[in-house]
Amino acid sequence: SSHEHKLNFKKSKEVCLSYIQDAMLHKQWKRAAEFLTFYIESLEKDYSREYMGPSEIIWRIGTEILCHHSQSSMKEFNSFIEQMKTLGVKRFLKVCLEHTFHLLCNGLIDEAYQNLSLAESWRYGEQTAIQDKEMKLIQAYRGLLDYYSWSKQKNILLEHGQDGFEDLSVEQEMHSCFRKATVNLKEITKIPGVWDQFVKCYVDLLEFYGDHNEARQVLNEYAYNSKFPANPNAHVYLYQFLKRHGESKKSLISALKILHDVAPSHELMIDFNTMLQKSKKRKKRRLGLEVIFAALDYAGWKENVKAWSCLARQVKQIVISEKHLDWIKVEWNSRKDWWPAFHFSRYLAKRNWQENESLSYEKALVAGILLGKDCKYFKYVSHQGCKAQVKRFRILKKFVNKRNPVYLRISG
Amino acid sequence: FVPRRGGTCESWEPADTAAVPFLPPNAGSWIPSLVPQDILCRGIVHGKSRAGKSGAVLDFTRQLSHFFVDHPEDAFGSLGQLLHKNFYLGNSKLRRPARESTIRMTALMEDIDRLEATRGCPRQRLSSRLRWFSHLCRDWLFEVPLGLLADCVHEELLLQWASLLFDDSPTGGALAWLPPEDTGARMGRLVYPRGQAMNHLCILPSEVSWGGKRSFVALALTGTPDFQDVVLEELPHTRGSPAQFELNGRIRQVAAARVDGEDIIGVRSDYHCGVWKVPARMGAAPTPLQVICTSVPASCLTVSPHLPGELAVCTQSGAVYLWSIETGLQQLRHDPQTMFFRDHSPWRWSDFTAHPRVLSCADRTGLQCLDSRAPERCHFDLFKVGEEAGCQQGERVVLPMYLGRAHPSQHLVTTQFSVYVMDERLPLVPVLKWAHMMKAPPIFAHLTPAGPGRSHKVLLGASRTQEMLLLQYRGEKQGGSQSACQLAGPPQKLHSITTCLQHLPTQLPHRHRLLQQRLGVPAAGLAAALQEDGLQESLLVFQLSEAGDVFCQRLTHRAAQAPAPTSGDEPAAAPGSSSLFEALARSPPGLGNKEEEEEEEEEQTFYFPAAALRYRRWLKALSRHCRVTPRQAWPPTLSQNRLFTRKELETPVGPRALHQQARQQLRQAMREGGRIQNWDAPAPQPPALPQPLQPVGRPDPLSARLTAAWSGDWGQWWEERTSFSVAQRQRALRERRRRQKRARGRRSLSASFTSSLTYQSELSELSDTAPLPCSPGRPAAVLPREASPAGGSPPASPAPEEPLLSSQSLRCRGIPKERRKTLRDYLAVWAEDPPEPPELPGSQLSQLCIPSSQSQLSSASQPRRKRPRMGF
Repeated sequence: SSHEHKLNFKKSKEVCLSYIQDAMLHKQWKRAAEFLTFYIESLEKDYSREYMGPSEIIWRIGTEILCHHSQSSMKEFNSFIEQMKTLGVKRFLKVCLEHTFHLLCNGLIDEAYQNLSLAESWRYGEQTAIQDKEMKLIQAYRGLLDYYSWSKQKNILLEHGQDGFEDLSVEQEMHSCFRKATVNLKEITKIPGVWDQFVKCYVDLLEFYGDHNEARQVLNEYAYNSKFPANPNAHVYLYQFLKRHGESKKSLISALKILHDVAPSHELMIDFNTMLQKSKKRKKRRLGLEVIFAALDYAGWKENVKAWSCLARQVKQIVISEKHLDWIKVEWNSRKDWWPAFHFSRYLAKRNWQENESLSYEKALVAGILLGKDCKYFKYVSHQGCKAQVKRFRILKKFVNKRNPVYLRISG
Repeated sequence: FVPRRGGTCESWEPADTAAVPFLPPNAGSWIPSLVPQDILCRGIVHGKSRAGKSGAVLDFTRQLSHFFVDHPEDAFGSLGQLLHKNFYLGNSKLRRPARESTIRMTALMEDIDRLEATRGCPRQRLSSRLRWFSHLCRDWLFEVPLGLLADCVHEELLLQWASLLFDDSPTGGALAWLPPEDTGARMGRLVYPRGQAMNHLCILPSEVSWGGKRSFVALALTGTPDFQDVVLEELPHTRGSPAQFELNGRIRQVAAARVDGEDIIGVRSDYHCGVWKVPARMGAAPTPLQVICTSVPASCLTVSPHLPGELAVCTQSGAVYLWSIETGLQQLRHDPQTMFFRDHSPWRWSDFTAHPRVLSCADRTGLQCLDSRAPERCHFDLFKVGEEAGCQQGERVVLPMYLGRAHPSQHLVTTQFSVYVMDERLPLVPVLKWAHMMKAPPIFAHLTPAGPGRSHKVLLGASRTQEMLLLQYRGEKQGGSQSACQLAGPPQKLHSITTCLQHLPTQLPHRHRLLQQRLGVPAAGLAAALQEDGLQESLLVFQLSEAGDVFCQRLTHRAAQAPAPTSGDEPAAAPGSSSLFEALARSPPGLGNKEEEEEEEEEQTFYFPAAALRYRRWLKALSRHCRVTPRQAWPPTLSQNRLFTRKELETPVGPRALHQQARQQLRQAMREGGRIQNWDAPAPQPPALPQPLQPVGRPDPLSARLTAAWSGDWGQWWEERTSFSVAQRQRALRERRRRQKRARGRRSLSASFTSSLTYQSELSELSDTAPLPCSPGRPAAVLPREASPAGGSPPASPAPEEPLLSSQSLRCRGIPKERRKTLRDYLAVWAEDPPEPPELPGSQLSQLCIPSSQSQLSSASQPRRKRPRMGF
């Protein structure tokens, strides 16, 4: 009968949980809270070996309810979390971290900091790998908060510095914050992972104190270490860093080249293209064309006027100089079966004309060159443009009509 | 600092208390889907389904017989040709030489006809000829080897079982909403399957009227003080008749996408995929474009949101195709193995990505992106079930979806535990993760994108449990950093089809059960339509069930600045006040729910007349459909002419006169139209009353008590029982033990003079006395009468003690003279001790191992009290 009892107990536990879930999903927080008080009994005989035991469920549900319950206060929340911390030793750090987030969301930064330091000093038995990682994370967040107070003090100093006022104690405090923050942030950037926020802060700190080498090393590591997941942001940060420090064009281009390989649809590709277009080298200009074509492959760029004008400019340049028409031909070959439908349909011509005239202008130019003067898109837009008596459309029409042989060479 | 969870969400509140039928019920007899019991315990279900006419019947024998009748050539073709010499089809008798090797089929046919006639009769008996024939031919006549067939059946059962556990064929959902061209319009189109086998594709222009006729009803319910106004919206309704296309397969999935102002609809059934084009302009007819046929069931069909006429198709063999209407199929991959680790599921999925030439391709273990221009070379992993995404053990991909309308490079991946949002540019590491805690894996998803600064809404739907969740998340379009993606607010549960059961008018129990079954079938798809009308926005959510019914519900958007007293704690659905809720919380959950339901019921019928009307209409239509269907469930009928052969009818069996009389009476009764009251003529011997069951053990106190209660003197019994003190009982027990000991001691002695006579007499005594103490079959009122020696049943032999006491009887028993005295003395001692049953026969009987009936007497109170009166 004890087995039966266990079974019944389990069943009623499940039923209770489903009631709680139902109430929560209907946003009936009061009702959910009532049921949760019953559910706490399930802790008594916790036989489960499931992925998520009742104590964890109680923690999660309780947090959620307290977040939304109309009558909950911060004090209640804190006391609940304290209880939860003692409930599951293995989860202690996780609970602490969540608690910190909640405090931060409510603007209680000092309490959050305290909480983190408390968690950091906590020791229990042998440290497992997961605990180690969580501890690192807690340290990193503490570092982040240190950084926050550092930047706050920095701002105070900067403001006051303008008034010619110097406060040694503030400055000292700021430096101590810096030291604490760097130690903690450095640790986390050594572990593979996505640490955008931490890396940014760390680099900012290092840059402020003039430690550019260290900063560069961190960013390089973050971008190029193959153990880290491929992260386009890492390359963006590196590029921004290099740009800030007036690095040579070559290194900037090489940074962006890698970004292009990782994420050809990144916004920086426009910068990359303009940079390459200006280059003297043929190879680089060719790469520029590739970059802009590739960017426009993506659906997100469909209506990007800047990108289209970049492409239009470069294509026009090539057509006028009549050199390197083969570049366009190569690029166009792999796209001619789907770009017309993707970019240059009659429907889009109509819509672009209605919504964005300059976009339709740039696109019509490209369409006219790539698809000839009989292209639907070009025909519609130039017709409408001429009808509306806009000068540049008339020039466009003339230009394309004159250059029609180019189209034949490209498509041929 | 912005957390991933939390944040404020838009508040979308259901306008009604339940989903409302959107379309009339699906016509045609609805074939109930399989339930686990069908496979697990067939015998029981078989009977039940006959009676209740519900549930699928896995009657393999009948299916096989259908096959034999429908395809005789396949089943018996060659053997039939080989054996046709040996079957004689004529009517005449066979001659001797032919009889050696030929069977006369007409006789066999007659037997079969007879069998047909008695079908369903529980007492039907195979004729020997048929049995002989089937026994002889069973193993070889049917050309498909039975062992092979059994294997196939077993395999099929396994498949059915697997699909019962988790059926992934409807993944993606078979319902699609085509929004109107301009968002302000109130018309849209709904694409859904219909028909008995869900093989009719319907494209219905449905007018979603909104606003305009709004009515405010303020009411005051007793006990709900702060009741607020209820806003009634008119329900969406359909206009015109749908365009219908009949397909030759059950529609599993309907996918739709709008490209260049035209809706492209992809329809997937098991072995066919088709494409339709629907111009956005209202009233334009949809045109079918192309159909492909696959040799292996297709598992996925998605429509490109970038290029018109491009679709992605996956089959269960592991092939992924890019299907272009103009250029045909292009195979991108063919790999029966799963990508990242071994998983047995043949399910594959493919969707489009931000790059029109790059397709994502998924199996249960993860997602990969393939470039269709060079599928072998260019691919990268987008999602992997494993450590990077923090997956749980056993977690598998259930449905990936491209979220292009919200953010060009984001994808939604659902597993049975969690929902992930992935970014193509940052593969493998999810941008957002949330454990959905749904009871069944979500295999339907729908995205309603929102403008900048607002949250995108994702609807997740499960099939078996009909669950629907509304999630809101925020992700900046073209935003800089990935951390901008966050879940907004808590998820919200929407009404499922089953919940409307409680709002339907009350039904007769069997109808209720039928309705429950109908409404509880797994969901087959969901769709949503966003309606904007000035300031007010609303989200219409459609849900399709596997029976083909479409229900809808409306969620209205409450702008943040509007005073919303109920938005926080109160359930939006039941506008009950907080006091109601406190009462609810105090009362036990079950009761509380009922209360709530009743409340809702009341409100439903009262406040939503339009919805109530719709429920009623739907129900009426459903019952009209259902009335036609249960025709098959006739009670078995017997054909009279095959019940008796003519010969049997010709010769009367019994005495002629009796029959004559009976016939006369029968005729008379028939003339009068009355009944035959009694066959008073030489009444046939009334069948002997069935002997009351012999109690095997001693009568338990309960039956004794029941017997007493039946006879009416229960009170007396109780008195007896209570007065029969513990001490007495103890004494009786002790006595009995002593007696047994004595009996054991005497066994060897008595063995010397037992004779056949004693045996017999003892046996007869036994047979008489045994039923006495407690005969459950006999009316208990007899018992006390029987106790007095004067009464009693005539055939009963004298009570056992009397003959024992007379010396004659003792002599009869072969007891020597010298012992008779001792015996008599012994018995006299017995007599003084009233509660003690006479044990002497017992002493001898014990050899015959029947102390049971005697010891019963000792413990059962009733007979024991009677004994002394009887004997002495």
